[in-house]
Amino acid sequence: MIPLRFKVDPLPVDEPIVTRLRAADAPDAGPFDAVFLGADGPVSEFDLAGFPLRLHDAPIEDVEDDVILVLPGQASAHRLIRAASPHNTLLVTERCDQLCLMCSQPPKRHHVDMFPHFREAVRLAPRDVYIGLSGGEPTLFKEDLFRFLLDAIEARPDVRFHILTNGQHFEESDVETLASIPHDRVLWGIPLYSHVPARHDEIVVKPGAFDRLMRSFAILARAGAAIELRTVVMKPNAPDLVALARLVTTRLPFISVWALMQLENIGYGRKNWNDLFLDTSAPDAFAPIAEATDLVRARGIQALLYNFPLCTVPAAYRSLAPRTISDWKQRYLDACTTCSARGACSGFFEWYPDDRGFSGVAPL
Amino acid sequence: MNVWPLKFRPTHDGAILFADDAGGFFRSDGAFLDRYALGALTGSDREFLSANGHAFETEGDLDHTGFAYRWASRQAAAGDLAYVILVPTLRCNLACSYCQVSRADERARGHDWTEETLKAVIAFLDGLKTESIKVEFQGGEPLLRVDLLERVRAFCRRRFKSAEFVVCTNLQRLGAAEWAFIDAPDTFVSTSIDGNVATHRAQRTITDDKTEEFFSNLDLALERLGPGRISALPTIDVEAPPPAASVLDTYARYGIRSIYLRPINYQGFARKRHAALNVMDRWNAIYREFVDLMIERNAEGGETFEEYYLVHCLRRVLRTGQDGHVDLRNPNFLGRDYLVLDHDGRFYPTDEARMMTRIGQIDLSVGDIFSGLDTSKLDALNAHATNLFDPDCLHCPYQAFCGVDLVDDIAREGRIDGPKIHTDFCRRHTFMFDLVFELLYSRDPKVRRSLAIWAGVPDLPYSIAPEHA
Repeated sequence: MIPLRFKVDPLPVDEPIVTRLRAADAPDAGPFDAVFLGADGPVSEFDLAGFPLRLHDAPIEDVEDDVILVLPGQASAHRLIRAASPHNTLLVTERCDQLCLMCSQPPKRHHVDMFPHFREAVRLAPRDVYIGLSGGEPTLFKEDLFRFLLDAIEARPDVRFHILTNGQHFEESDVETLASIPHDRVLWGIPLYSHVPARHDEIVVKPGAFDRLMRSFAILARAGAAIELRTVVMKPNAPDLVALARLVTTRLPFISVWALMQLENIGYGRKNWNDLFLDTSAPDAFAPIAEATDLVRARGIQALLYNFPLCTVPAAYRSLAPRTISDWKQRYLDACTTCSARGACSGFFEWYPDDRGFSGVAPL
Repeated sequence: MNVWPLKFRPTHDGAILFADDAGGFFRSDGAFLDRYALGALTGSDREFLSANGHAFETEGDLDHTGFAYRWASRQAAAGDLAYVILVPTLRCNLACSYCQVSRADERARGHDWTEETLKAVIAFLDGLKTESIKVEFQGGEPLLRVDLLERVRAFCRRRFKSAEFVVCTNLQRLGAAEWAFIDAPDTFVSTSIDGNVATHRAQRTITDDKTEEFFSNLDLALERLGPGRISALPTIDVEAPPPAASVLDTYARYGIRSIYLRPINYQGFARKRHAALNVMDRWNAIYREFVDLMIERNAEGGETFEEYYLVHCLRRVLRTGQDGHVDLRNPNFLGRDYLVLDHDGRFYPTDEARMMTRIGQIDLSVGDIFSGLDTSKLDALNAHATNLFDPDCLHCPYQAFCGVDLVDDIAREGRIDGPKIHTDFCRRHTFMFDLVFELLYSRDPKVRRSLAIWAGVPDLPYSIAPEHA
C-alpha cells in the first residue's frame, strides 16, 4: 500500500503548516515550499523556511511536489495531495447523517474543520489535478464547502473536483451558488440504491432519504450541476436494477454517468459482507447489470462498472469497467500473476476477502 | 397526478403506440385509450405512467424536471456556422442519368469560381466565429479544380483550430495532384457506388473504360486511405433496382458497412429523363427488402451492416441530442450552422435549394459571397422551421423524433404552410418511424441482434420497449 502519512520529526511550530515538497533544484520554489536538502539514511531532509523538516521513509523521487500537512507537536505528516497519483481525496468530515449498510468509512461524531488547510493545499497542487472531496458527509458543512469551492475554482482554473455526497442537504436556495460553478469543474458523486423508496431508505438507514434525494436531484438539475450517479450492487438491490435503470432514463436523464459499483470489504461493508456481497461472476448473477447498462446506454446515457475485476465481467461488458480502485488501496491476487488484462484491470481492494469473494477469478 | 399529453397511432399488428412530447413511448390497447380519453385511469395505469416518465405530481418535482430536460434536449440548438458546402465548379467529367445537382460539360466556360470569388470565399471563412470548421467540396466534380481546393484547405488549416475536409468525387480521373489532395489525413472522400458494377455502369460510367477507371481508383483509394476515410452511397433507380444482395456484397467487398440508401430524386435534369411518378410505395418496398436482408446477414455473425438513415431514426427515437444530420432535426433553421456556396458565389440554405433555383422553379438563393446573407428571405423561411406548433405534427406520436424540411416542401408542394400530412417528407418519415417501432417491439431474435448492433450495446433488452396492458 502507498502510505498516506509519513513519520515526521515534530516541528517547533504553533500553527499547522501546509507545504509542498520540492526537489533540490526546483527553479521556482516559493515561500510555501520545502526544498529537499538530502537523504540521511531513511530520512529525507527538507528546508522549510529555515527549519529542518525531516520525513521518514519518504524518498524524494516518490514525494516530489506532494502537498503535506504538518500539525504542531504531531509525529506524522498527512499527504494531502500526491503529485504522482490520479487518486487524491480530501476528507471534509467524519460526521454523516446516513449509516449506509456498505459504508467503507463509518461516521464518527468528531469533526475538525480542515477547509483552511485544503484551501492552501489546492493553491499548491500540481497542474490539472483532479481532487476528491469525501467524508462522512461533506454537505453537513455546506456553506464552508461552497465557500471553499468558489474560492478554489477561481484560484486554480485548472483544478477539478469530485465530491461524494448523499444529496440530503441541497435546498432551492442553493441553485444560484451551484449554477455559478461551471459544469466541468465539479462532479457530484451521489448514491441511489433502488427505485423503491423504502428499499433505498433501508440501505442508507435513514427514513425519508429517498424522497429528500429526489428533491435534491431536481435542484441540482436546475442548477446544471454535473452528476455521477452511484449504485453499489448488492444482494438486496440487484433485483431492482432494471427498474432503477428506467428511473434513470426518465427522471435522471441529465446525469453525466451512472456508475454501478462492486462492494468494498471494509467498515460496515466488512461487517455486513455476507448479507450484501453479490458474486457477479456467478452464472446469471451479472444479468441485471447487463440489462440495466444496455437499457441506459441504448438511450444515450453513459454507464460504467466501478471496482469490477475484468475477469468477473462478461467479455462484452469489460469495456465498461475502467481501473477505478485507488492506487493506495489496490492489489492483485496470485491468480493475476499470469493475467494478460492486468494493466487495464481495477484489480482488488487491499482488504478483499479471498475466501468469501468472487467464484470466477481467473487469468484472462 | 398530472399526465403529460399522449399522442397515439395504431400499429401494424393491432396495438396502439403512445408517445409524449419528450419522446417517451409505450404500447397499449384500445381499452387503455378509452380510459385515458375519458379520464378514467386506474391505479395500475397511473403507476405505469408515472414509472415510464409520463406524469408528475407538482411543477418542479423530479418527474417534471426530468421530463422538461428530455423535452429540451430534443430541440436542436443551431450553433455558429461551422459547416460549409463549397461548389468551386459545376463542370463534371461524367454525365449521370439522374444528376440532380445540375452539371456543366467538362469543357464549358464560366462555371468555375473566379479568382475574385475565391478571395471573397477566403475572406468569408476568415470572418467566421467558429474555431472548428468542416468543409465539403461538391460539384460538378470538385477535383477538376484541385488548385482551388488546395488553396481553401491551406487557408483553413492555418485559420482554424481544427479543420476537416470532405471531397464528394466520382473518383474518375485522378492524377498526381488529385491523389496528393485526398491522401491528407484531414481529408475524407465521399463517392457513389450505385449498388453493383452493372448498375454503376448503366447509371454513371456508361463505358467499359470509365467503369474500369472508377473501380480501380476505388481499390487504390481504399488501399491508400483505408476504409475509415472513404464513404460511399448508392443511388437507387426505383424502376430498376439492383438486387439487394448484390449491393451488400459490393459494399462489403470495399469494407463499407454503413450504407445510405437513397432513391433517385426525380427532379432537375433527371426529371426530364424519368417520369415523375409517385414512387414512394415502391421505394419503401425496396427499402424494406434491404433492411430485412441486412437483419438476416447480421444474424449470421461476422461483419455487420447498417442502413445509415434507419440507424439515425432509431437513435432519434431512443436518445436526445441526435441532431448531427441536417435533414432531420427540429427546429431546423436554415442558413445558421451550415451553408452552401455555389460556383457563382451565391449562398443557398441547402443543396436542394441550389438545385431548385438552377432549374428555375423558385429563387432560393439567400445572398452571395460579395454582399452577404439575405436575412429577410431566411427569416421568412425560418418562421416555419419547426414542427412544434404544426396542427398535424401536434397529434403525431413521432413528432419528438421527427423534423421539418422546408425546402423539400417547396420543391414538392410549392408551399411551406400546407397540411404536413400530405407532404412527401411526412409520408417518408411516417414509414421510417413505423418501421423503427415495428423493429423495437419485434420478438424476432434476429431483429434484436441487429437492433443491439445499431444501438451500440451488447444486447437490446425487451424492456427498452414498454407495454402496458
